Amino acid sequence: MSITDQLLAALLVYGLWLLFAVIAIASIGVPFPVTLMLVVAGSFVEQGEMKLWEVIAVASGAAVLGDQIGYGLARWRGRKVALAVARKFGESGIAKAEEFTRRWGGAGIFLSRWLVTWLGPWLNVTSGMARYPWRRFLFWDVLGEVLWVALYVMLGKIFSDRVQELMDLLGNLGWVNLGVFVAAVLGWKTVQYLRSQRSVVS
Amino acid sequence: MHKLVERLKGFSWQQWSVVAAFLLVSAFTGLHAFRAVRNAAYWSHHRDEPIRAWMNVGYVAHSYHVPPPVLYEALGMERLPHDKRPIRVIAREQHRSVNEVIAILQEAIVRARQPGAPPPPPPGPPGPPNQGRAP
Repeated sequence: MSITDQLLAALLVYGLWLLFAVIAIASIGVPFPVTLMLVVAGSFVEQGEMKLWEVIAVASGAAVLGDQIGYGLARWRGRKVALAVARKFGESGIAKAEEFTRRWGGAGIFLSRWLVTWLGPWLNVTSGMARYPWRRFLFWDVLGEVLWVALYVMLGKIFSDRVQELMDLLGNLGWVNLGVFVAAVLGWKTVQYLRSQRSVVS
Repeated sequence: MHKLVERLKGFSWQQWSVVAAFLLVSAFTGLHAFRAVRNAAYWSHHRDEPIRAWMNVGYVAHSYHVPPPVLYEALGMERLPHDKRPIRVIAREQHRSVNEVIAILQEAIVRARQPGAPPPPPPGPPGPPNQGRAP
């Protein structure tokens, strides 16, 4: 069985406790298939085995807790560690990350909670390192995580008898989501190269 | 077109690697977009989803719209209140492979869906109101 299947089987047995633990760990940065677990939890809600408000409260609480740990650690020690690493690999990366956080701020935090979720743990760290105001971080974090949890739990609830197919579909859409973002960055780089070559050729 | 080729000729190997990565990621994204569309199309035309080892009897019954007692009976199991055991665990307990358990469930589902299928067996001993609706 894949790790996804094992986690889903464990979710059936251990319920909300497991959901809380896995989502909190994933929010710190461990890549667990938590979106799929939310979909399955939504199906259990529809079958009467879990309560909707409990799932939303537990999953949102876990996600916010994990995000706060990532933010807190980065704010506490992140900059020192990053600077030590950057001395070996160049400091421009840190400056870029901090600039990214300052520019995108609340919108970036909010969107990375539910739309481009794979960016979430990274933004927690850069927000902490850049000392993004904690209250604002918490506000956008809670808003985004509750939306993320409610969205996927409701999807699972609506398509409660087709969870496996919904998960396969979401799995592919997740890769499309990541691929579009990376292709956009690489495409933009290529256009910049072509522009710089234009001045050389002409 | 000619100008584009001229510009590309002036690329360093680092720039070429970015272009190659762009093409690879675009192809990868396109493949998954195609799969997503194909899955969605398949989904809209087919009712049943495959039974997997993470599912439990309650979920399979819910997904296939058959009464849970039919599936419990086919597996020779007693319906316990809030039985949450996934197929993987049931297979281990019954010393069967996961595929064997899935085959038994599929057979029971086919039988239960046949016109004129016998009614589901009576529920087991009294239990909580949602007995047998284990996910």
